[in-house]
Amino acid sequence: MSAALHSFEAQWRARSADALQPFREQAMQRFLKLGLPTLRDETWRYTDLRSVAAQSFEAASCEARGAIDPNASLSLVDAAQHAATVRMINGCPLLNADMSIIKGIEINSINELSRLDPKSLARFFPPASDADQRRWVLLNTALFIDGLYLKITRQVTEPLVILHVSTGERAHEAAHPRIIIDAAPGSSATIIEHHLSHGDIAPLNNSNTHISLARDAQLEHYRVYATGANASHMDSLDIHQASGSHCKQFTIALGGGLVRSSLEAHLNEPGASLDSHSLLVGHEDRHVDCVNIVTHAAPNTRSRQTARAIASDVSRVIFNSKVIVNAGAVHADSQQSCRGLLLSPRAEIDTRPQLEIHADEVKCAHGATTGRLDPDMLFYLLSRGLDRETAQSLLVYAFLADVLTGMSVSSARAAIENALISQLPDSQILRNFR
Amino acid sequence: MLVISDLSARVAGKEILSGVNLKVNAGEVHAIMGPNGSGKSTLAQVLAGREDYEVTKGSVSFEGRDLLAMRAEERARAGLFLGFQYPVEIPGVNNVYLLKAALNAKRKAAGEPEVDAYEFLALIRQKMKFMQMSESFLTRGVNEGFSGGEKKRNEVLQMLVLEPKLAILDETDSGLDIDALKVVSTGVNSLRDPKRAVVLVTHYQRLLDYVIPDQVHVLSGGRIVKSGDKSLAQELERRGYDWVMGAQVA
Repeated sequence: MSAALHSFEAQWRARSADALQPFREQAMQRFLKLGLPTLRDETWRYTDLRSVAAQSFEAASCEARGAIDPNASLSLVDAAQHAATVRMINGCPLLNADMSIIKGIEINSINELSRLDPKSLARFFPPASDADQRRWVLLNTALFIDGLYLKITRQVTEPLVILHVSTGERAHEAAHPRIIIDAAPGSSATIIEHHLSHGDIAPLNNSNTHISLARDAQLEHYRVYATGANASHMDSLDIHQASGSHCKQFTIALGGGLVRSSLEAHLNEPGASLDSHSLLVGHEDRHVDCVNIVTHAAPNTRSRQTARAIASDVSRVIFNSKVIVNAGAVHADSQQSCRGLLLSPRAEIDTRPQLEIHADEVKCAHGATTGRLDPDMLFYLLSRGLDRETAQSLLVYAFLADVLTGMSVSSARAAIENALISQLPDSQILRNFR
Repeated sequence: MLVISDLSARVAGKEILSGVNLKVNAGEVHAIMGPNGSGKSTLAQVLAGREDYEVTKGSVSFEGRDLLAMRAEERARAGLFLGFQYPVEIPGVNNVYLLKAALNAKRKAAGEPEVDAYEFLALIRQKMKFMQMSESFLTRGVNEGFSGGEKKRNEVLQMLVLEPKLAILDETDSGLDIDALKVVSTGVNSLRDPKRAVVLVTHYQRLLDYVIPDQVHVLSGGRIVKSGDKSLAQELERRGYDWVMGAQVA
């Protein structure tokens, strides 16, 4: 048994039972039996977890919350916009007595709710799965300390920000943030999850978000990874959609040393529709592995996956996507598109669009291209007198632009754009350009 | 202004230009005509500084400077402009940003102050009106979703804003309907000036009905095989390129 597995087992034994114990028990037993994924597992072929497995982790403490400067690190979503914000410190929600900070979204503690009505949350804890892409979700289910349950009850225009902060003095702290987003029929909302870390620590973040969209519900969801270069982040997102619902999802990888981002979407009823956008930026020696699995489980469902990957220095970026069309899901309509941009000869981008179709009469397209900056575009800009650095930065920015323009929250878009630009070479030039 | 001496160049290992000689004085308009594959576009791209086109022999001087020693961006700032045959689309880079950056790069190189945004917008609107371009151009990406004709108008618009000393227009007339051809020609003529020169690279004679050249050259097999005044273009139109190429053999 690896050092990591040992330490997780010790944490499991140290905790006391709660109302969610049956789910936790089942998940932990399965996790201990299967262990951490390895390169032999299908969705982990690009990410070697041996260095993670060799570490011994401690449970991150909720106590660290006192050390957080409430105004620090809010640059991503402009503080001037006064977006309603809930903080999660090392996976522990900071809840005030009055959480009616935004009309139309009820904010609750998962623990609280499970104590009052254990059955109400059962549908958000599906049976433990052996699938390798769900391995860290098992661990999250077993070990999360508390989490947020958000009930969207009507049409909400103001965005809600969830700020996930990793903090602590000790290295090797592991946190397991858990979020449940439950959208009522016909409701709509925008939720922005922003992950960051405080200080030069090397935390392990194992977060999971479960989104459930009832009939005709609409959600625009962002997850932005902006943790430090030493952080490891395993994030998983589960989306379950009923008829006529629409989910617009943005995954933005800006930070973190090792980032594994997965998305599993289930289009369960006719008319469900998903637009997934991924902006994956690798620089220095960072590793970003993005896995999307979209299942069309009903007729007339629609999905779009758009990914833009940029790798500079010796970084590696992976976009591994799969569309599954179940038997009977006729007239499913899916597109997978990934474009990669290599900015250094030692960087690497792997793209792997896949299709698994069990129905007739479907429309499924996929495409992936990776290359360097287009020499024709570069020459055009140079021939107009722009200097080489400006021309190159401009083209890098342009490469990302069509995903950015799809964001409806202008403050978030501007902030993400800013944060992205600061990760790119010649960022000052780009700032002048906007 | 421009002196090309014995210029040879290769593209992907294949010799396309084989000893081109050409002299263009300030105030002149030259037309370079020739059949497809004769090297017209290669000559234009080599003069603009395309790096993957390898110059194997000869020299080019531009206002007394060694043009071939300058990088593409330096040539542009020194006053050379290439109007592309196939202007590339660059989604995500705004037309106006590009033009403003281009103009400021040139002004900076000349030691002039940068234009302010208000001044610049006024200038651009005036030139757009002249080129009969729609307002939507201002918000779009460079050449993004433009028709062939719109792309060519945009090239001429850029030229009018940048006011180059030497404009090389590579088949700017191709793909234009007669109305667009007139607009483009008016744009080119507006730049005629004793201090400037224009080189029109074209396959057809019809542009030369609107922009009257001082000299016409026929490029064939990578070299200039015949030169003359504007009547040469008319004769080519009548007798076809085989006539000159036959003359070359004889």
